[in-house]
Amino acid sequence: MALPNSDLEINRSGVQSPVAAVQQFIAAYPIHKNYYVRIFVQAILTIWAVLTVTFFLVRQMPGNPIDVLIEQILTQEGISYQEAYDRVAASFNFDPDATMLDQYVDYVGDLLRLDLGTSITSPGTRIIDEIARFLPWTIFAVGSGFLISFVLGIILGMMMAYYRDSALDHTLSLVSSFFTGVPNYIWGLLIIIGPGISWNWFDVGAARGTYDPGLTPGLNAAFIGSAIEHALLPIITYVLATLGSWMLSMKSSTTGVLNDDYVNVAEARGLKDRRIITAYVGRNAMLPLFAQLSISIGFVLGSGVVIEEIFVYWGFGHYLFQAITVRDYTSVQGAVLILSSTFVFSNLFADLTYGLLDPRVRISGEK
Amino acid sequence: MSSKVQAAPHPLLSLLRLPFTVLFAVFGFINRLRANRAGFIGFLGLLAYFILTFIMPYFIPFDSEVNLDEIAGPVGSRIQLAVHRDNNHLRSFEDLAGKTVGVVDQTGGPSLIAPYADSINIEKYRWTSRRAGPGVRAALIDLANKEIDAMLIFSKNVAELRADSEDPELQALLAEHIVISNPELGPPHLLGTDTQGRDIATHIVHGGRILILTAVIGGVISTLIALVVGSLSAMIGGAFDAAMTALSNLILAVPRLILLVVLAGLIRFENTLFLGLMIGLLGWPPLMRAIRAQVLSLRERDFVEAARSLGLSTYHIMFREMLPNMISYVMINFIFAITFAMYEQIALLVLGLAPIDDYTWGVMLYFGRSRGTLYNVDGASMALSPVLAIAFFQVCLVLFARALEEVFDPRLRAAV
Repeated sequence: MALPNSDLEINRSGVQSPVAAVQQFIAAYPIHKNYYVRIFVQAILTIWAVLTVTFFLVRQMPGNPIDVLIEQILTQEGISYQEAYDRVAASFNFDPDATMLDQYVDYVGDLLRLDLGTSITSPGTRIIDEIARFLPWTIFAVGSGFLISFVLGIILGMMMAYYRDSALDHTLSLVSSFFTGVPNYIWGLLIIIGPGISWNWFDVGAARGTYDPGLTPGLNAAFIGSAIEHALLPIITYVLATLGSWMLSMKSSTTGVLNDDYVNVAEARGLKDRRIITAYVGRNAMLPLFAQLSISIGFVLGSGVVIEEIFVYWGFGHYLFQAITVRDYTSVQGAVLILSSTFVFSNLFADLTYGLLDPRVRISGEK
Repeated sequence: MSSKVQAAPHPLLSLLRLPFTVLFAVFGFINRLRANRAGFIGFLGLLAYFILTFIMPYFIPFDSEVNLDEIAGPVGSRIQLAVHRDNNHLRSFEDLAGKTVGVVDQTGGPSLIAPYADSINIEKYRWTSRRAGPGVRAALIDLANKEIDAMLIFSKNVAELRADSEDPELQALLAEHIVISNPELGPPHLLGTDTQGRDIATHIVHGGRILILTAVIGGVISTLIALVVGSLSAMIGGAFDAAMTALSNLILAVPRLILLVVLAGLIRFENTLFLGLMIGLLGWPPLMRAIRAQVLSLRERDFVEAARSLGLSTYHIMFREMLPNMISYVMINFIFAITFAMYEQIALLVLGLAPIDDYTWGVMLYFGRSRGTLYNVDGASMALSPVLAIAFFQVCLVLFARALEEVFDPRLRAAV
């Protein structure tokens, strides 16, 4: 070990160099060997890598916002190219002459100061404000959809496992195959075509947006009612599209648990069925699903794009799609930052909480 | 080491036996599948899809003829023969010899009547009367006034013009004098017509092949990469494992939509199948993780341990001991990879983000949505048909995969 040696040097000179201080600290507390620190650093590195990839990728997309606008101005007003260029460059918050590397350095510098920057196509709009405006709606819709389908799926999946090979099981597994097989946007289109247009159960046009225009957002009944009404179709779609996989996961998980010894022991001890179902079978069978839940939330935030476009629901997916279509690089980067951190941290969260939920993992982890 | 107990058969002999082995395996598989009714339905459905999208296109031509008077027709619409009430006996082209028949330009009418052009007097009308020449409405009025003897007409037009409440006089005239003497004259539009009057059924027949091929290519590529990278990661470990795990994390964390849009724009491809390649190149990480975990756990099993202590080669251990234990899992996930590739490419097409070269179900859906046929009950078939085609295909795949799961999984099989 080099530690005593370096200690001596510090004492002799009396001045502690920062490098030596860090070395000493690491030697004393080996944080790079700590599991939590390592996975956290890994998560941050992954997000940074994603942002870097996105940064260069979005700039490779065919077409760029400035050329599009320059051409528009040129054909409309008949001014010289230089004039048009100057005007666009001034109105856009974007210097097309800066090299990509300079832009990247600027971008990372801003990010380190927790500044997401401003939109390119609508200068002055801070991206963080835009995200704060759009994201809650998606979290609301996706969150409630997931919650409903998770609870429903767990109940139905347990029923399937309990009544294995009965007519109920066969029907439900057929239904669940159907639910999983049909893509979520196809569910959305079916909802619009069937109940919406053909049977006229509700007005599809009125369900656009996130709440009725003219209402002031706040904690009043009219606003909340309207928000729920507008989110209802996406929520139903999310429920239908995810229910099948929850049912099946829960079924296979419960089937596994039902064969475990402790369930037999609990039955032999004469415990009430309800207690066995909830505390013995349910709790243990649900464990793998919690990990799945937090992982799939990261996926769904991203896949909400198509659903929100179909229902014209102005949430985060809509924002991302708009940013992609007008090639608003900074907005796309902001949206990707949110998406990838959600994904990475929900994975991290799943890893970390799994031990808390499942004592067996905790014990083997401590060994 | 002791010598082999059983002598290997002559290679030629085993080659001869191969077709029979495959045949027996297939029959045995189908037999086992029949026990699982849902899975069998899925299997039959996939066969039906194969016939629909790979064989039927050779017999049914793609309808690319624009028919302006058959726009957004409902399911089951077709060309009909309209006559005056007094001439109800005119039902076929043979009956019409020597008569004057009105046909509307730019419809299926002219081509239908062409073989009889010598024996029939043809009176041409235009689809809209805004241009030079009388329109469909004028044609119907002429028919009601017996100025022409018969008229070829698209089923929807008569109903529409009869229901034209703004002009009760015309409505009464048409209701009183015009009857459809032969409602089954032209080729039927089983699924109606699209916004250009083209037959949707032929588009459904032709629109699936590329889509399914693209999905299968995506599934094959992602499964192969996942299998190779996953097992190598588990077997080699170390830096390679760390690098591949990091790469898979990175690919998972970048929003797929953006990656695909950028790649679709970057690589100018003439062929939609390249989309499958890209989906495959981006789709392997989840399966790779699962396979890596499987190999890691299989490595520690007793039979692998035994094979290793017998001094068998790594090649033998991988392909003879471990692969057979994973193959069912890989097969099932291959099918799920196909559904996933299908899901992604159609999402891109529906959003209009992928280049549109072939007229597939996804493109039909895109046009159906962007042209607003979703919101019109009569025309909804343009969007609804591909929606149902896609939905049932995916359901068949999932049913089939689930059945495979049960057929392959000995634990589940024993419980049945």
